[in-house]
Amino acid sequence: MIEAVGLSKRYGQKVAVDDVSFTVKPGMVTGFLGPNGAGKSTTMRLIVGLDRPTSGRVTVNGANYVNLRAPLREVGVLLDAKAVHTGRTAENHLLALGATHGIGRTRVDEVIALTGLESVARRRVGGFSLGMGQRLGIAAALLGDPGVLILDEPVNGLDPEGVIWVRELTRHLASEGRTIFLSSHLMSEMAQTADHIIVLGRGRVIADAPVATIEALAAGDVVTVRTPDATRLAALLADAGITVTATEPELLQVSGLPAPRIGELAAQHGIVLHELTPVVGSLEDAYLALTQDEVEYHAGKMVTA
Amino acid sequence: MSATAVDHHAADSRTVARGTATGSGLTFGGVLRSEWIKLRTLRSTFWSYVLIILLTIGLALLIAAAQRAPGTAPGTPSGATAATLTAAAQQARWITDATLGINFAQLVVAVLGALVITGEYSTGMIRSSFAAVPARLPVIFAKALVFGVSSFIVSLFSLVVAALVIVPVLQGHDIHPDLGDGAAWLALVGGAGYLALVGVIAMGIGLLVRSSAAGIASAVGLLLIVPIVLRIVGGVTSALWPGNIASFLPSEAGGRLFAYPITQPAAPAGVVVLDTWQSLAVLVAWAVVAVGIGCVLVKRRDA
Repeated sequence: MIEAVGLSKRYGQKVAVDDVSFTVKPGMVTGFLGPNGAGKSTTMRLIVGLDRPTSGRVTVNGANYVNLRAPLREVGVLLDAKAVHTGRTAENHLLALGATHGIGRTRVDEVIALTGLESVARRRVGGFSLGMGQRLGIAAALLGDPGVLILDEPVNGLDPEGVIWVRELTRHLASEGRTIFLSSHLMSEMAQTADHIIVLGRGRVIADAPVATIEALAAGDVVTVRTPDATRLAALLADAGITVTATEPELLQVSGLPAPRIGELAAQHGIVLHELTPVVGSLEDAYLALTQDEVEYHAGKMVTA
Repeated sequence: MSATAVDHHAADSRTVARGTATGSGLTFGGVLRSEWIKLRTLRSTFWSYVLIILLTIGLALLIAAAQRAPGTAPGTPSGATAATLTAAAQQARWITDATLGINFAQLVVAVLGALVITGEYSTGMIRSSFAAVPARLPVIFAKALVFGVSSFIVSLFSLVVAALVIVPVLQGHDIHPDLGDGAAWLALVGGAGYLALVGVIAMGIGLLVRSSAAGIASAVGLLLIVPIVLRIVGGVTSALWPGNIASFLPSEAGGRLFAYPITQPAAPAGVVVLDTWQSLAVLVAWAVVAVGIGCVLVKRRDA
């Protein structure tokens, strides 16, 4: 269980996390979704006490992380794959981390096997690929067999096989009743892994709902209408306060009015419809819709904050 | 692979359900072990210590062998020939030769001291360290302790070996070290203590600046550049204060620690001369202040 209440973090003038409140519950995978720079990593660093909040608080299992008696046994954290001394071997890195909590070679060998690092365990981390670095980070997070796992972009740099492995591992760990908090900027990945999603944009929570709800936000919301009389229908809809986008001369994208109502409206005014299709939204679309206004840097142009 | 996970986690499902930690938790002993593993698993540690051993022994042999015939010995205190040296002066010569390598070894240990902490910052390892030990200061204390003790042992070994191997060489030059002289051995212990403390001071500086380049430059600058600058200022102004400030520098105070306690000429009025214990206190103060300020920053800064 992770609870954030009014959590804020400011670096100088820049607000990285802005009054964020959420709860990450045990027994499920909670996705933490947002574009790069949205404040996901900062929030995760705040949870494990690496950064200090400007205001607000965040607790793990009801306690401040800094006050935990055995942090590694309660919380496993993958912050980024680079939090490792490049001159040390993977095995020695894990032994050094485990030693702080009396975790010895047996468990180190276990997590090495679990993450498939046997062949490179005695090599220095400096020569690791991004994917191997991620596996080592996950191995470190699993060292204390913790009930809470915080993984920042765990699939970043993994090959497709590795992505599936992380997905199955996190689902399995959640099924054991653990709290899994997983960040990603990839909606498609979240859709397949998470049960619940918290969407972060520009440091603020812009959605906090089960995956199904997030998907439903988009599903049925947009209707594609094809009609030879597009101009007149668009005007009628616009008069009713409905948002209409003309994508082609005879094609309209209508949002905010269900398909049957659009059909009725067209019938009332004798407008012929060639097509009336509710767009089944993917999580990806929902995500883009939710974060569209929150992305700090749009491709091509910089938006002043 | 995943079968291992299932087996393991099945066995632990009870503890997970409780959501509490089991087994041993975070202990300072554990953090000490962790820092010991960290120190000995980096190549820089190994090479630095090898370098210290080779420099100390090698330079001692070189200087001892270079003192050829009585009357031509270089670096003899007061310019006396070996033939006329008193017993105390012979002991002083023996220890001076044995500890010559400290001048170079101190640079190596300072670089290593800066690296043991800045290496964690530059690689990001510090975040793993502080996530495992969120109180943070135990990491710093354990690191200083492990590194200080290791450096002391390596230095003491080097100095003792250096002192022993030059005995036959010196005897060839009619200098006869007295191995039963406690003061001589104490000077070697002082030299090892000096090197260990220099390492810890450099670690404290590394903690302040967090960058390897800045840490190494500052530590080496403190040992080499600052004394020279003060000497120049003292020479130009003919004032006593630059020399008196210099007496409190690690390098100057350290020199007193491993000098054989031979009777010194009385210092002119107004010139500070520290005795052995005062020098030790000054060095310890440097280490405590450097690491202490570092600790305050470590507690306040984001990692």
